[in-house]
Amino acid sequence: MNPLELLNRPTFADVERIGMPRALLHYRYGTLWTTFFESLGREVVLSAPTTKDIVAQGDALSHDECCLASKIFLGHVESLIGACDAVFIPSIGNLGRFKMFCTKFQALPDLVANTFAERGLRLVSCLVNELEGVGMREALVGLAAEFGATSHEARRAWKTASRAQEHAERAKTAAQNRQLLLLDHARRKPTGEERASVSILLAAHPYIAHDPFLGGELADMLDRLGATVFHADAVDREQATRESFEFSQTLPWIVNREIIGAITACYEQVDGIVLMSAFPCGPDSMTDDAIVRCMQGKPILNLTIDAQSGTAGLETRVESFIDILRYQKKGGYVHGS
Amino acid sequence: MARDDAEDARRSAGNRSEPSRFAARRDIGPLHTDRGQEARGVRVVVGGERGPFKLLPQKKRTKRDRHARTRVAFFRYSYYDIAFKFFVEQVLDADFVALPPATKRTIELGSRHSSDFVCAPFKHILGDYIEALELGADVLVQFAGPCRLGYYGELQQSILRDLGYEFDMLNFAMLTGKPLTEYISTCKKKVNPDVSVPHGARNMLAVFKMIENLDEANDYYLANAGFEVVPGSFDRARAAYFDAMRLAACERDIAEAHRAGMEAYRALPTNRPGRVLRVGIVGEYFTAADPSSNLDLERKLLGMGVELHRMLNMTNRNLRYNEKNLRASISDYVTYDMGPTSSMTIAAALKYAQEGFDGVVHLKSAGCTPEVDCMPVLQRISRNTGMPVLYLSYDSQTSDTGLDTRLEAFYDMLAMKKERTR
Repeated sequence: MNPLELLNRPTFADVERIGMPRALLHYRYGTLWTTFFESLGREVVLSAPTTKDIVAQGDALSHDECCLASKIFLGHVESLIGACDAVFIPSIGNLGRFKMFCTKFQALPDLVANTFAERGLRLVSCLVNELEGVGMREALVGLAAEFGATSHEARRAWKTASRAQEHAERAKTAAQNRQLLLLDHARRKPTGEERASVSILLAAHPYIAHDPFLGGELADMLDRLGATVFHADAVDREQATRESFEFSQTLPWIVNREIIGAITACYEQVDGIVLMSAFPCGPDSMTDDAIVRCMQGKPILNLTIDAQSGTAGLETRVESFIDILRYQKKGGYVHGS
Repeated sequence: MARDDAEDARRSAGNRSEPSRFAARRDIGPLHTDRGQEARGVRVVVGGERGPFKLLPQKKRTKRDRHARTRVAFFRYSYYDIAFKFFVEQVLDADFVALPPATKRTIELGSRHSSDFVCAPFKHILGDYIEALELGADVLVQFAGPCRLGYYGELQQSILRDLGYEFDMLNFAMLTGKPLTEYISTCKKKVNPDVSVPHGARNMLAVFKMIENLDEANDYYLANAGFEVVPGSFDRARAAYFDAMRLAACERDIAEAHRAGMEAYRALPTNRPGRVLRVGIVGEYFTAADPSSNLDLERKLLGMGVELHRMLNMTNRNLRYNEKNLRASISDYVTYDMGPTSSMTIAAALKYAQEGFDGVVHLKSAGCTPEVDCMPVLQRISRNTGMPVLYLSYDSQTSDTGLDTRLEAFYDMLAMKKERTR
């Protein structure tokens, strides 16, 4: 038995309904967290998908220099007040050296606690810092003790949760790989149709790409224009991270590493890449630029979204980008028909 | 032809509404558009021909004259160039490229060649590097560090290479987690094959001592220079002290220069009124400590006759940093480590509040995520203790006069508050 377990008192034993903001790392660890708490016999209350009101709420609560994604996060937290007993916000530092998260994720619990200090918001939190030997597993198992679970129950909950997470990830990767294969296949046997269709890699943080208010709208738009969209986070993560070390040795952020690895992995299949960031994303400010500068032979559209505009006015840009891709496929501006 | 096509396609694809503070930046323009203007928020690049998808593709090393001494340059960081010089000359046994004080051109060069929403220190350092390369540096030094700092080196090297500069970078971020022997062999490979390890190790300790001395002297300067009787006397003593430190070649010289410098400071007459305004400076590692990044904020405040304190310096952040203990002192407000300098920022602000300071100035570069995240905590401390906090955010466009106005207003407010509570 871990001697540290003796220190954990069941401080959250009375928490029955756990709030889960549908923002930021929920898009990465959502299945894991939800299954974990449900295995412990708790009810998980997931906040509603992002709406304009949530964005406005979050914007009002945060300092104006915060990135759009974190503003939206605060909006989701606000919407959970009263709907649950406590909100789950872990402090996630890193998954190892050069596999860090943006410092935002480290600061989130304290940021929320201080922002809502007068509102009586209760937090459930734990620390994930693999450099100091606390991985997600250790963190959640430790947290389960605070919920009054025995170490056996905790380990079982972890097992169920991590299996569910793995399953979800694998399903996502498999679906995308199948699509990529189909694309490859069609390319090898040209029927004339594939010249009109374009495929695009949407390279963005998962919480941008899958938020219905941000990337969701963009994906719909691309769909309407007849483009096939691939997602960076549906590429095998481990492999993507490994590949990214080829690109840069010292890039600190894991999510950006995965995006870069995904670009390398899908490079051959896709016709173009859309890099999408929330303004002002710290990690992206230093990687988008590097990607664009080092990329060769693939058109890139680099979009930045802020709270003022959201995705309004994107349509023209996306449309013209698709047009560029179509022209290129036909043989360029000069030789095209 | 293909190249022209690619360039034509590098164009803005529309306009966006944007906050006005970024509007002025357009006339500098980012690096990657070769002509015309680029709207923020969107950029289309149709790839051209370039090496593999790598930030730093392998390059054949140009042969240098192996008998020539390597010329090593650091970036500018407050008065620490003195310690950097000692490090280069006494530890690496190479020539140090001393940079003149930063000018407007420095930051303009830096921001022209970096992405527009990257943090201001990146732009300052990039400008410093370009100026150092113009002065003939062969090797640039960059640190490892938390947050974005650890990635600065590689990205800056990539940008400078693309600009066509020939140089090597001693990037300590590439060595994090590796054994000390790796550090030594890298220094030998990049700077000086004849580096003496025993000599270097001994002088490394002297570098640490020097940094501690410099910070100690600076603490005295900040606390007392606001009350000098003879205008400029503290600045003159400071310059003399720095000159003596620059000449130091061993531990003994450092100790002697420090003793003489502190004596000179203490001998200066001051006129300290009974109730003085005490202001604490907290914030981000680079902006809060570097006068050329914060538009000489400290001297401006000293000119108003204020006693200044700043916990953030290399001694406290690098040499004696104990994050856990700092965090323990702020456990009422914070549970986790919120970022590279966050615990120090919050702990310092709370300490100043508890010691009855009249105000705190919080400095950061625009968009610095960890320091932005500190602000709700500082606001809460401010609400709970009644101590005013002035929040300043710097980017490459921040104006001197704008800062003056805000500092004067802040000073007036503090002075009036003090008068009322007499």
